Amino acid sequence: MIKVTINGKEIELEKAVTVLDAARSAGIKIPTLCYHEQLEKYGGCRLCLVEVEKMPRLQTACTLMVTDGMVVRTETETIANVRRSVLEFLLINHPLDCPYCDKAGECELQDLVEKYGARAGRFTEEKRKVPESLEDPVLVRNMERCVVCTRCVRMCEGVQGAAALGVISRGGHSHIEPFSGGKFECEYCGNCVSVCPVGAIMSRLHRHSYRPWQLVSETETICPYCGVGCTLVAQVRDDVIKRVVPRIGTPVNNGLLCSRGRFGYEFVGSKERLTSPLIRKKGVLEESTWEEAISLVAKRLGEIKAKHGSDAISGIASPRCTNEDNYVFQKFMRVTLGTNNIDSTARTGYAGAQAFIENIFGQGSTANLIPGLANSDAVLVAGGDPTAVNPILGLQIRACARRGGSILTIGHVKGLRHYSPVELRPALFRETLALEGIVSALKNKKGLPGSNQILEAKLKDINTTPQEAAGACGVTEKDYAAFVDRLSGAATPAIVIGKEIVQSSGGNYKLFLLAAINYLVNGRIYLLSERANEQGLLDMGCAPDLLPGYRPLAYAEFRKRYETAWKTAISERPGLSIFGMIDAAKQGSLKAMYVMGENPVYNLPNSRDVEAALQKVDFLVVQDIFLSETAKLADVVFPALSWSEKSGTFTNMERRIQRVRKAVSREGMEDWRIIAEIARNMASKFHYTGPEEVFAEICKVSPLYRDLTYEEIEKGQSIYPYKGEPLRSTLEGISVDKGTGAVAASRFYLRLERPLFHSGTLSRKAAALVNIYSGALARISAADAVSLGVKDGDVVRVSTKIGSLELPVAIDGAVEQSVVMLTNNFEGKGAFGLAEYAVDPVTGAPVIDCNAVMIEKVER
Amino acid sequence: MFSETAKKELEEIRLKYPNARAALLPALYLAQREFGWLSPEAYEAVSSLLGVPKAITRGVGTFYAMYKHKPMGRNIVQLCTNVSCMILGAERLVDFLKIKYGLEPGGTSPDGQFSLVIMECIGACGTAPAMLVNDDFYENLTEKYIEEILEKYK
Repeated sequence: MIKVTINGKEIELEKAVTVLDAARSAGIKIPTLCYHEQLEKYGGCRLCLVEVEKMPRLQTACTLMVTDGMVVRTETETIANVRRSVLEFLLINHPLDCPYCDKAGECELQDLVEKYGARAGRFTEEKRKVPESLEDPVLVRNMERCVVCTRCVRMCEGVQGAAALGVISRGGHSHIEPFSGGKFECEYCGNCVSVCPVGAIMSRLHRHSYRPWQLVSETETICPYCGVGCTLVAQVRDDVIKRVVPRIGTPVNNGLLCSRGRFGYEFVGSKERLTSPLIRKKGVLEESTWEEAISLVAKRLGEIKAKHGSDAISGIASPRCTNEDNYVFQKFMRVTLGTNNIDSTARTGYAGAQAFIENIFGQGSTANLIPGLANSDAVLVAGGDPTAVNPILGLQIRACARRGGSILTIGHVKGLRHYSPVELRPALFRETLALEGIVSALKNKKGLPGSNQILEAKLKDINTTPQEAAGACGVTEKDYAAFVDRLSGAATPAIVIGKEIVQSSGGNYKLFLLAAINYLVNGRIYLLSERANEQGLLDMGCAPDLLPGYRPLAYAEFRKRYETAWKTAISERPGLSIFGMIDAAKQGSLKAMYVMGENPVYNLPNSRDVEAALQKVDFLVVQDIFLSETAKLADVVFPALSWSEKSGTFTNMERRIQRVRKAVSREGMEDWRIIAEIARNMASKFHYTGPEEVFAEICKVSPLYRDLTYEEIEKGQSIYPYKGEPLRSTLEGISVDKGTGAVAASRFYLRLERPLFHSGTLSRKAAALVNIYSGALARISAADAVSLGVKDGDVVRVSTKIGSLELPVAIDGAVEQSVVMLTNNFEGKGAFGLAEYAVDPVTGAPVIDCNAVMIEKVER
Repeated sequence: MFSETAKKELEEIRLKYPNARAALLPALYLAQREFGWLSPEAYEAVSSLLGVPKAITRGVGTFYAMYKHKPMGRNIVQLCTNVSCMILGAERLVDFLKIKYGLEPGGTSPDGQFSLVIMECIGACGTAPAMLVNDDFYENLTEKYIEEILEKYK
């Protein structure tokens, strides 16, 4: 026990902490400026100086550790004088332009000067003049206001890991600058904005359109973008979201956000939002009333069901919609329409991969806590860049590296390049060999644990020699062995799996190999998830073979449970997968499709083929917030409410259920309410007054969520397996299809870029994100650019068997040779327009890595 | 870009230090030698060869006065004008350089041959005035002697 006396108050502490922390724990305030709880200690601003008995000089409370018997005074006349002097120095160059500064009202310098004085300094010299830097599209930098506390630099380097900011020059000339001196050209997380105590680095979004004290309402909700499920606070004035900020202490992101979360909210207020239902009349979509649209959909779906049977109708659910939306949607498909034809874009990777991993390790085996990654001693990354797909998860991997953990990657991971990754970079189509090599080596090194006979039986035949494996990666056997040693020596390894693996030829076999590695090193698996509620929609039963609670449809006892709850028979025929629906539409057996909050015409590979298929469907209903490529084909379009306009829950990739709350209002109906209305028009009993009632029903019928309530979720009691029962299944077999083995036969292959700044087709309506990354590019390696005779910005025609696009070239050091990377985010320029696919026989995911590409320079 | 020999040198420098950041100062000197000054390209080259982020590299470089942040002449003349040198006529030598070579303090001669940097004491007070040309040391300077010296570097 350590006893310290601060301002005459005795404080007992279990372990040594700083004087600042000790004082705060006792409710004593010490002013600070450079100190920030998320950052490394700095001791630079001298505002936290305190008197300590028996120490000759004043001490910085933020760096001084308490010792037993220490006597500290934090508010004496000397200290007040010192603080006033420090502030006077800071004001030598500060412009005191508070009336014009957006920070006024929440500025730490303003508050300190107000408290300690030095309102006017004695310095008569002219103040430093530095023009405000408006060169960047998203961030504005004002170096007159900067107090060089270096919080932004420490945040950028020590927490975010982008290291885009530095202190330039020294002494009185010190200032903060990105490398270019103008544009930040960084990851645009905006975490520097969060920690800046003054108005030196600020967001340009809604600049000069609010005062902090005018943000009268703020709503804590969950980010609409990726599957990490960061908590964010939407601050609102006049029913418009003015800014989005993080909050310290929230479970997943704890005070941090990424570019999409912080700057991607503007789509909510886009002028392109749909405002009224649309009905196709004489080939044209025309505005209609809600009543007309709802009764038309009910009538047509009823007719089609009666004439062609239930299975002529299918539904596509949405990983952007809440659990409540998705639950009501699948219930509508199963109960009202009587079919299991329901699926989603989770089928493009996440769903199949999760089912595959869970079959081997049991339900919930991928539900691992994201912050736990930072405590791993090794992280193996395969199939994508976590710092771009799931940025906040990526930060945990960077934190792991900072704490001395090994970062091991299969392929080059751009976002981890400054973290001394140990890389294996297999040649095109030789990943399997690299992974088999790891499995064989681990088997020899560690032996088989003996706990999973079925898996081990399958490992017997994997005997790839180190020579072969090292050869496939172009490294020496020694380097290959070093990679394996790092993995096998780890006590708490984690394996992070991205979609690139799942969507590659032999994807299921690669997943099997990764699962085998996980088994041999006793690790835990994280599956990257691109959409906010990808996990939730699966849990809600929006899959052709799953009922709510992730219960397989195939078991009669589960069906019976839901039949009782819903008072209807449930078809035992598994439904069509999303790709099955496209095929059925092409063949003409699918007559109607209901799409909720998804854009399959753009977000599925071979999108032109998907478009042709949907055109053949007799009756297409789309619910969306924008007139998407899919909505343009629809017979009826319903305008939905966006994430910020409704309440409900999202389930993130850790399977944590979190509350989505309404931040702004808008006329219209939530997705679930539109569907419930249609169901009622079709004589089904869908009576819910609000999302709580839907959730209550979910928790009543699903054994996974038994008796869970919104209140409990808000208290944080919402981590898998909640209070319910996870599915207990026994491993009956592992089916693996190695495929025929693709070989590199073409000069170039198409690969998908999954950029940090975009997500599907939602982010293209977010102005700030578009300003950061504004158009489609063809990314190629420097060596390929030389051989093609093109430079940055030259326009090339990228063609595959099924289509071509003209795009500017971007030479990218992180792109492998013989690969061209395209995004699938920009209107009319989607990579999926060029990508043919085959469906992986085990995971059901589309295999898209075999698209041979021609690149030719377009002469102007 | 770094020449192949300079790249090799950089690798050797790197091995002397526990981590890449610790090797930044000598690496930046090397870059200054290769590029003539620390241009944005020079910083980028050091950053990518050492694997240290660009902004950090530039932050370190701009802290020190002995790194040059604008293009310099082929040879750098560093003349002392501190007390001893000043008493013994260094200021006249500054004027001489200006008239004879068009060399202003902090500037570069029009032919690009020389840049002049005014130094504080280089520890040659007993033999003042003194200067450095690149890494070579000269003392007891006179106008005539300076002319002879600079001729060698043309």
